[in-house]
Amino acid sequence: MAVTQQRWDEDEHLLDDLRDALREAAPLAGTLAEHGKGAYAWRTVDADLLLASLSFDSSLERVQERRSDPDDDRVLVFTASPLSLELEVTPGHVAGQIVPPGPGEIRVETAEGVTFHVQADDVGFFDLPGQLRGLVRLRCDTPTGRLVTDWVRL
Amino acid sequence: MDEGDYPITWLVDAAAAGNEQAWQEIVDRYTPLLTSVIRRFRLSVAETQDVAQTVWLRLVEHLSSLREPRALPTWIITTSKRESLRYLSDRRRSVPYDPLDPSWLARSSEDADPGAELLRAERHEALLAGLAELPSRQRELLLLLVEEPPLSYAQISKRTGVPVGSIGPTRGRALARLRETFAFREHLAGPARVSVVADGANGAHPATRIQRKRGDGRDAATLG
Repeated sequence: MAVTQQRWDEDEHLLDDLRDALREAAPLAGTLAEHGKGAYAWRTVDADLLLASLSFDSSLERVQERRSDPDDDRVLVFTASPLSLELEVTPGHVAGQIVPPGPGEIRVETAEGVTFHVQADDVGFFDLPGQLRGLVRLRCDTPTGRLVTDWVRL
Repeated sequence: MDEGDYPITWLVDAAAAGNEQAWQEIVDRYTPLLTSVIRRFRLSVAETQDVAQTVWLRLVEHLSSLREPRALPTWIITTSKRESLRYLSDRRRSVPYDPLDPSWLARSSEDADPGAELLRAERHEALLAGLAELPSRQRELLLLLVEEPPLSYAQISKRTGVPVGSIGPTRGRALARLRETFAFREHLAGPARVSVVADGANGAHPATRIQRKRGDGRDAATLG
């Protein structure tokens, strides 16, 4: 980094590099900032709601292992404590489970503003419409607690 | 927000507590960094917008966990990379780039050396994360100074209200401040540490797959 440091000691070089860095971002930045500002409307205001972060996504693992098998199901794990949620996405089917296993109600929200409910059975299994795609998050209401998952693109 | 001199930690705390103006300021400051990271993955314009939307929506809920000044840019960089990679891995989206997007032509010559490209990308991340830390006035001045085609000092003076004779010294102070930002110091202190693929803290593989016992004979696909 010594070379960079020396280069950035010069005002003109630093400005040149800044210009270079901004050049690629500039054409899209306006649109993306607009979307970003709109995202705040989705903020959940609920202190008791657990945020279950996307802690595992098998489609990333595929990239890391330099493997590409389109037949693989996609497995997603959203982790919070004491409640987590797993999803398995296959071409015609989306299934999920509440962990630890137990009954609950699942509410699906899409970024387009559609929401709907499904019921998880006594061991926490639930099915979602197979053609569910796009940016979604799940809310889960159980006797143990309530959670909302990270937004994820299916 | 008139002074624009709020530190990042204050903005993050305020946005987490419900201050929408603070959120908007965060978005304005960090959009160049977010965009730059995603663009590196050669996604189309539509895919870039998809990834950015995912990152912003997710960030809204993660604000309260990002208390350190450097936590926000790190989170943005890591999450954008992961989501971009996910797009790349998705075989269903097989169109590699948008032929109507002119920036592809401009960048095609840079593909030759991935190592140099990575270093360049990390420099850009440091520059844009550093820029985000600056007070609004300094940030806006620097943005005007690097605009293309270049603006004259008279034009910049008209837009900012800074007298022509003060632009030079103000520019000097803004650049000096940029060199003092967390992002800069961190970048200059260490060797390249971000490996695009190894960086993903993708958790352990879940022990079990979801195996539903389908006793009811119901076809889930019909639910849709």
